[in-house]
Amino acid sequence: MMQSMRILVVDDEEPIRESLSAWLQKDGYQVNMADSGQAALGSIGDCFFDLYLVDIKMPGMDGLELLGRIKEIQADANIIMITAHGSIQTAVEAMKRGACDYICKPFDPDELSLMTERVSANQALKDENIALREQLMEHHEISFEGLVVESQALRDIFTSLKDVAPTPAPVLITGETGVGKEMVARAIHMQSEQAYGPFVAINCGAQTETLLQSELFGHERGAFTGAVKARRGRLEMANNGTLFLDEVGEISGKMQVSLLRVLEEKQFQRIGGNQNVETDFRLICATHRDLSELIKADQFREDFYYRINVISIHIPPLRERLADVPVLADHFLERYVQETGKQVAGWTQRSIGMLMSYHWPGNVRELRNVVERAVVLARGRMIGATELSFLQPEVEECHFGTMTLKEMEISHITAALESTDGNISQAARQLGIDRGTLARKMKRYQLNLK
Amino acid sequence: MTDLAPDQTATQTAAGIELIPFGQVDPLAVSVVAANLQALLGLNTRVQAARPNPEYAYIPTRQQFDAIKIIKQLSHETREVYFQLGVTNLDICTPILTFVFGESQLGGNTALVSLNRLQGNGTDLAYERVAKISVHEVGHILGLEHCWEVRCLMHFSRDVAQLDSLPISFCETCQYETSRRLGQL
Repeated sequence: MMQSMRILVVDDEEPIRESLSAWLQKDGYQVNMADSGQAALGSIGDCFFDLYLVDIKMPGMDGLELLGRIKEIQADANIIMITAHGSIQTAVEAMKRGACDYICKPFDPDELSLMTERVSANQALKDENIALREQLMEHHEISFEGLVVESQALRDIFTSLKDVAPTPAPVLITGETGVGKEMVARAIHMQSEQAYGPFVAINCGAQTETLLQSELFGHERGAFTGAVKARRGRLEMANNGTLFLDEVGEISGKMQVSLLRVLEEKQFQRIGGNQNVETDFRLICATHRDLSELIKADQFREDFYYRINVISIHIPPLRERLADVPVLADHFLERYVQETGKQVAGWTQRSIGMLMSYHWPGNVRELRNVVERAVVLARGRMIGATELSFLQPEVEECHFGTMTLKEMEISHITAALESTDGNISQAARQLGIDRGTLARKMKRYQLNLK
Repeated sequence: MTDLAPDQTATQTAAGIELIPFGQVDPLAVSVVAANLQALLGLNTRVQAARPNPEYAYIPTRQQFDAIKIIKQLSHETREVYFQLGVTNLDICTPILTFVFGESQLGGNTALVSLNRLQGNGTDLAYERVAKISVHEVGHILGLEHCWEVRCLMHFSRDVAQLDSLPISFCETCQYETSRRLGQL
């Protein structure tokens, strides 16, 4: 059946309104009707539409005025003006004011179908464009072929991904921050049946619950203070594509219930709206947290967990697959050499040794940043130990060089704090001391958290 | 003529449809429509006596008949059967469309088809075309929308050439939906 686009038909003549609606409904569209400009604005108060078919000549608020009012509420609204043969000049004026097309009544049966199909395709392109722009900004590889692996652990994972990707089953990717969970999600998307649809990512841990709700579900105009225009949510934008929920462990219980309902019913309502919006996407979630522990602690719903965890993939941290370090370093080196235009050919044996002996608390993301920095600092054709000197405090073989006991303690505490993102309790546990002792040492050494 | 596709199995239903000719209509065309509705949808068919032209629906400025008015009028009549299909040779249109081959109430009980623009008057091809339009419109009565599948009778035809390219059968999905909805009657 045809794609379900929501259309508002605005015409003061009942036979025109009804026959047009009936025709569009047969094409599979969801159609609402309004008999005046005022009634149309009332309908937009409830929800907003993918397409407006507006008669130019109406008593009271005419089509041109309504066009302006709709554009104030929904700037990117698709509006087609309906006109009689005598008022084409007005229709042209409407196009100058932002209408996407006009049609003279009565029209041939195929004219309207072609026009609505064009609007539908344009809307899909707009959504896809937004998603693609986000993908490009991330600079991530987007196919299994683009993923760089050497270790057996990741080879096994990617072999299984080739079987997993074409299925519609939800995937849960776990692993520490920076291991490349989103890159794997994008790779699954590109090998899936939704590959030609959008890949829509959202970091659930980076925003408040209210903001996350608005981001996911979208909202109607006036749904809350500041909602001056209606807005599509990520759930809607991900239709026929993939929705990637990063840091899913941070979602509140209430939001989990709402999302569970969307996953089961494949429809939802925008905030402040009362009409159902249909959506169908493949769900991929990621988290650095242990969700089963969160379930035990009553911080994560078991039913939601089972819904998102049909297929589970764990990406080990980089320190547990050091075989990947040289190939990843070469891969990033090639990228940054291209970007900077510097004449750097590779690594010295000593610099590779330094990379291999580092414990990479920030995983692949940290390695990428280290390589970028090394390329920028490089003075010769090979990157040597000098360019990686900033890694020294973390490189184990250098820990006991010429450092004093105090320097070693400061270095060790700093590393622990960095690896736990400044969490004093976690860092204390890692160091084997209690929180109070660590706090006192930080105060003594003036180690302020950034 | 209108051969039934070999894999097309008519649904067995007690539901019936009444065919109502308006004005001068080729009786053979009406018979062909009845036979196809019976064969493809399993509907019991009955042909009424021809009625005069529906002058109440005439639009002098367009010299055409308003299909929606005719359908509305028919749907208000008391019926002994589930569905009604008007068959006419008149040029029909709707307030918004310059012409239609057929018109129907989506999920309703009444439809109307016209041979006027199907060309090839009295030929096998014309009979096949009116049969296709009739089954398509009855599909709408059953609640089916237009189908993306180009090899499905519920696909929208812009002209007779496109109509000719359609088989006189539904795609798997529409066939399933048709059977399901007829089964609910």
